[in-house]
Amino acid sequence: MRSVILAVIATAAAATGPLPADQQRPVTLPRETAVYVASDLPGYQLVQKNCVGCHSAHYVTMQPPSSPRAWWDATVKKMKKPFGAPFPDEDVAAMVEYLVKTYGAERATTPARGRNVAPRREPSTR
Amino acid sequence: MQTRRRFLRQAAALGAGGILTNAAFEAFAGGQGRVTLPFENGTRELVAFPQKRPLIVLTSRPPQLETPFAVFNEGLLTPNDAFFVRYHWSGLPLSVEPAAYRLRVTGKVDSPLELSLEALRRIAPPLETVAVNQCSGNSRGHFTPRVNGGQLSNGAMGNARWTGVPLKAVLDKAGVQRGAVQVSFNGLDQPPLGDGPDFVKALDIDHARDGEVMLAWQMNGAELPLLNGYPLRLVVPGYFGTYWIKHVSEIQVLDSAFQGFWMASAYRIPDNECACVEPGTTPSATRPIGRFTVRSFVTSLADDARIPANRETLVRGIAFDAGRGISEVTFSSDGGRTWQPARLGTNHGGYSFHEWTARLTPSQKGPLELKVRATSRSGETQPLTPRWNPPGYMRNVVETVKVVAV
Repeated sequence: MRSVILAVIATAAAATGPLPADQQRPVTLPRETAVYVASDLPGYQLVQKNCVGCHSAHYVTMQPPSSPRAWWDATVKKMKKPFGAPFPDEDVAAMVEYLVKTYGAERATTPARGRNVAPRREPSTR
Repeated sequence: MQTRRRFLRQAAALGAGGILTNAAFEAFAGGQGRVTLPFENGTRELVAFPQKRPLIVLTSRPPQLETPFAVFNEGLLTPNDAFFVRYHWSGLPLSVEPAAYRLRVTGKVDSPLELSLEALRRIAPPLETVAVNQCSGNSRGHFTPRVNGGQLSNGAMGNARWTGVPLKAVLDKAGVQRGAVQVSFNGLDQPPLGDGPDFVKALDIDHARDGEVMLAWQMNGAELPLLNGYPLRLVVPGYFGTYWIKHVSEIQVLDSAFQGFWMASAYRIPDNECACVEPGTTPSATRPIGRFTVRSFVTSLADDARIPANRETLVRGIAFDAGRGISEVTFSSDGGRTWQPARLGTNHGGYSFHEWTARLTPSQKGPLELKVRATSRSGETQPLTPRWNPPGYMRNVVETVKVVAV
């Protein structure tokens, strides 16, 4: 998908004169670190197939652990319509099952948080 | 719409003076690592994205980066490399060729335009405005009961000096036709695949032509970082960031209200005076989000900070509203039982962060609950108890910082 954007821009750039001094060089975004928590639930394989093409796992992992099944269900469906994710309707139920049981209100325990690094506290008003 | 504040050369002085520093605090502003925001599941990575210092990663793809709160104590202008980032789609441009960049103005106009950046700059003398940009969902993670969406603390905001041309000058050059109702704005970012709704926003025609909405190519005297919309973004002073379209490339004048997803279905608030409902309930009617509500923060002290008992500490912070300007800030060190007026710093225009300071001498050792409350020139003040709405927008409750006198 990035190549699509770059191609669009490259096409637009075809008929140009001299470049101004402040030309913007392509940037490289940092390597992604967020991953989905491994699970035997079939939805684990499905979210890797159906979700990672468009966004990092952060959209899931940051949600409040109280997030109810109804919200995960509505959100997975929203990714299909109107957001255009091309996965089949048959995948929805298993994806929701994995998400709510791993990150939401029906999880058994706190999900693993990845690397074991001591957190620093963000100073912030409460 | 307000007419004060045209040109703010003195804004150059905003970055330096009168800042209380706190060494322990500044350490948080640099270095990669992790932070824990003060709500459940609030652990986040700090990562340096292109042209950015390490910022709090809400999502890495597309980039959504929150400014560490300590930055707001560095100065009234938020540095470009610390300014928050918010995208909706991962199809974002990773490079933009300025010589090839074109801004198209079409729709209900006499003369459709296709402007190069150079041509755009020639349309009118440059306008400079110091203005806060704030995400609609800034502070969403602090909602109780929690709401879903981007789980932000208070760092999805920033204050910058924007340089550009008034949108009005561009619309006038195109010649807006009779019957125009709204103007829509689209940028180079787009859905990565499928037929998802492109991120397009609209303003009413009178708002678009108020002379304050601008097309900006600089922030804080430098070109926009790519992730803040290089080479051109819409600046809508006093309005939530959802309208500040990045990499803006298409402007369309419309003869009816724009019905795209991001106006008709998303970014909507309860259609009542408080933009709020009983927690857990659904509003009966909604309208598009609009102007900021008034807010204020302590920036010089964070939760768990230690200050000396029986000695004076100068407490500092910021306040802002949707453009009328701040008329009063009051400060409490006893959890809101008693309040004292804070001293307001130099006024850099109604759309800017406004600095305030208050002197605090704890008479004994022990915990203190600091609260700050701002009132705008329109008489709007911050509520003492939080308002709630389903999307988690517009939090502006009086905030509390818990410190200890030692």
